[in-house]
Amino acid sequence: MSPARTRLLTGAALSAGTLLLAGCSGSSGTSSSGSHDSINYALPANFTPNWILPIGTAAHLNTNNKSISNALWEPLVAYDGSTGTIGWNKKGSVATAADFAADSKSVTITLGDRHWSDGKPITSADVKFWFDLVKANKAEWAGYSPGKAPDNWTSFKTVDARHFTITFDKAYNPQWMLANELSQINPLPQHAWDKPGDAKKDWTYLNDAAKNIGGYATNALWKTTSGPYDVKSFSTAGKVVLAANKKYDGGEKPGIPTVNLLPFTTADAEKNALRSGTVDYGYIEATDLDQKDSFTAQGYEVKPWSGWAITYMPYNFNNPSMGAVFKQLYARQAVQRSIDQTTLAKVVFNGTAVPGYGPIPQAQTSNFVSPTQKANPYPFSTSAAKSLLTGHGWTEQGGVMTCTSPGTGASQCGEGVAKGTKFQMQVLSQSGSTVTDNMMSAIQSSLAKTGIKFSIKTAPVNSVLSQTPQCTTSQSICKWQLSFFGTMGSWYFNAFPTGDSLFQSKGGSNFGNYSDTAVDQLISASTTSSSNQAVQEYSAALAKDLPVIWLPEPDYQISVVKKGLGGFSQDSLANFHPAQWKWTS
Amino acid sequence: MTAVLQTTPTAEPVANYRLSLRRFTRNKLAVAGLAVVVLFLLFCFVGPLLYSTDQTHTDLTQVNLGPGGSHWLGTDAVGHDELGRLMYGGKVSMLVGLAAGVLATVIGTLWGATAGYAGGWLDAVMMRIVDAGIAIPALFILLVVSAITTPDTLGLIIVLGLVSWLVPSRLVRAETLTLKSRDYVLTLRATGGTHGRAIRRHILPNSVSTIVVAATFQVADAILLVAYVSYLGLGVQPPKTDWGGMLSAGLTAAYSGRWWLIVPPGLAIILVVCAFNAIGDGLRDAFDVRGRG
Repeated sequence: MSPARTRLLTGAALSAGTLLLAGCSGSSGTSSSGSHDSINYALPANFTPNWILPIGTAAHLNTNNKSISNALWEPLVAYDGSTGTIGWNKKGSVATAADFAADSKSVTITLGDRHWSDGKPITSADVKFWFDLVKANKAEWAGYSPGKAPDNWTSFKTVDARHFTITFDKAYNPQWMLANELSQINPLPQHAWDKPGDAKKDWTYLNDAAKNIGGYATNALWKTTSGPYDVKSFSTAGKVVLAANKKYDGGEKPGIPTVNLLPFTTADAEKNALRSGTVDYGYIEATDLDQKDSFTAQGYEVKPWSGWAITYMPYNFNNPSMGAVFKQLYARQAVQRSIDQTTLAKVVFNGTAVPGYGPIPQAQTSNFVSPTQKANPYPFSTSAAKSLLTGHGWTEQGGVMTCTSPGTGASQCGEGVAKGTKFQMQVLSQSGSTVTDNMMSAIQSSLAKTGIKFSIKTAPVNSVLSQTPQCTTSQSICKWQLSFFGTMGSWYFNAFPTGDSLFQSKGGSNFGNYSDTAVDQLISASTTSSSNQAVQEYSAALAKDLPVIWLPEPDYQISVVKKGLGGFSQDSLANFHPAQWKWTS
Repeated sequence: MTAVLQTTPTAEPVANYRLSLRRFTRNKLAVAGLAVVVLFLLFCFVGPLLYSTDQTHTDLTQVNLGPGGSHWLGTDAVGHDELGRLMYGGKVSMLVGLAAGVLATVIGTLWGATAGYAGGWLDAVMMRIVDAGIAIPALFILLVVSAITTPDTLGLIIVLGLVSWLVPSRLVRAETLTLKSRDYVLTLRATGGTHGRAIRRHILPNSVSTIVVAATFQVADAILLVAYVSYLGLGVQPPKTDWGGMLSAGLTAAYSGRWWLIVPPGLAIILVVCAFNAIGDGLRDAFDVRGRG
């Protein structure tokens, strides 16, 4: 039987199965197991949990591992979106106060009256233990970025058992410091874990122990916790069972005694589990939203989970053939004006995306977004886009704009753009996503109306990442013109959305080599100024300067949640907080 | 010498072909297959002249419409008319399938005939190359090539042709090995006929049946292969499409009741592949000397 035919028959069988299940099952307010004592949560497709230690390398400390880790060892400052808005969730934090010095060059933290699960108090020494570990092993630490923490933390001074002071190398924006740096600290049980007595050896000892996934439920090392849960079982295949920590004395008491975190190899497998009712908190894709009623009939609620992220397509400003065109602001404006974000968000994303016009996420209300970004400086209009090009020395020839008036004058193509240059560009885009394919087709179509030829090449996302690196014009790898990592490749920010990595000259994730001195200064100011004005100016500057093609920001996940499960908000920083989940009916 | 040559079976194929044609037309399934292929060719290549649609630009105001008045087969997720898209995609599928099938058969025939006729070490080397090629899954090669280059219609034809010639080469080599030891070939060689003359006058004419049958199956396989590659998102790039790509895009709507995005391309692939296989079966029976009475 042909592969296509096999797929068809499989699809038909699944359809029939769905209808049958939809008809047979009813709504309920209890977990899939029928009790209020447990919950089945679906982990993202193709993700297998493999780390619980709160410190580690970037390969281990991804969002989902970190969520599990935070349920076991509570962070010093839980700065996230778990309360509905991004801010400091003190109930889920070990610290109760952070007092910044008047000159913003140091902070004194107050710890709550808290205890480890073995009864010992949580003290400044436990925070110092984390501090020393990270200082001594910063190159291996997942959160390390040169010049940032722990480089900019110059000293740690213990005031008493529940107070300590961290000094910085210069004045910093307290909100940025709290949200992006201090939030990374996890007090660790120094009395139980500091066995070698040396920060380097401790790091190796703990990381080696953490590599033994099979020992997470049995190794005594992992029994001293501070969070609302303990590990009951942790299989190498990815299933994790968390049990409520009876000794927990923090503010976020676990609402459900047993939490089952379930792995799935594909999104389809997860959807089938949802349809069969074995998952209480799962997800569907945007293209499945028109099946919302079938899930509702099965006793679920569909709840979009918006992310604190932006989505964009970087230009390669160093591309040998199109780099000079991309460097012209009018050309970038013409491209941006050819993209109908409102319709893309509504139609292609089924209403599960919001248009984004700048470097600050717009799915949530925040004080960081400038009025300029909010107002959309370049509204969709292919005729206006066309005028921008024809007004700068381009003429449409055979449906494609061609530079006919080279030069640097106001009505000429601009520096480096040769006569006869055609406005044609290619994107290397993520394959395997219908939503991405549809969005690219729509963009291709609207750019064609402006006279810009936009060709699409697709590849698996890892291939896109490897083929679109930062490069210089003379390098052979610099042939890429535009790249798109897909809707699941949106850039998720820390709580304070700075652009140092994305848009600062030579920033680590500044793939297209965008560089602007004024923007660099604004980015630096946003991390040091105590006013929101700096970040708003940065927002406005990049909304106008278009370092990338801004695209609609899709929801992080379309959650499907069993009716009766509540008491929580979905954290826009893409973490999950099982202690907040409760069966309400 | 002339008299000897005239008694060789070179004149036979003409009469045989008439007989073969009669046998083919008696095979109802094969004739039906031929009719299906002709109808699909007309649908894909003449259809757009009668039913004109815009398959280049999307129309986000007309997405996912069901079959009806202005869109006989509805529209897809970006507003393309589905019937027009079926014709547009069919052009690519049929063109790539036919051209790649023919290319694979030509390469396979030349390779197999050379190996079989030359024999000895050259045959051994050439056939070990074929064995090695068959050991590498065609899909793997296609995925690698797709990752490196931007697939277009011509590129797909060349790549599919280059990965599909191995089986025909084996068939033709086996046929050549048999034919070259026949008396009339040996006689020709003994009487001073050249290798080229032997191949032109005897080997190729008598291998035609094998080659033609192999070609039909190659076309069917190529259509399936291009559908498979496109299903994985590595076929021709938008705004172009083919039936495999349409099926892939439509399958996300499997639970949404939008059957018009799945059934037509799926049915088209099945019908055309089955039709080519039926033609191949019919031709094989028609050329089979054992069935002649």
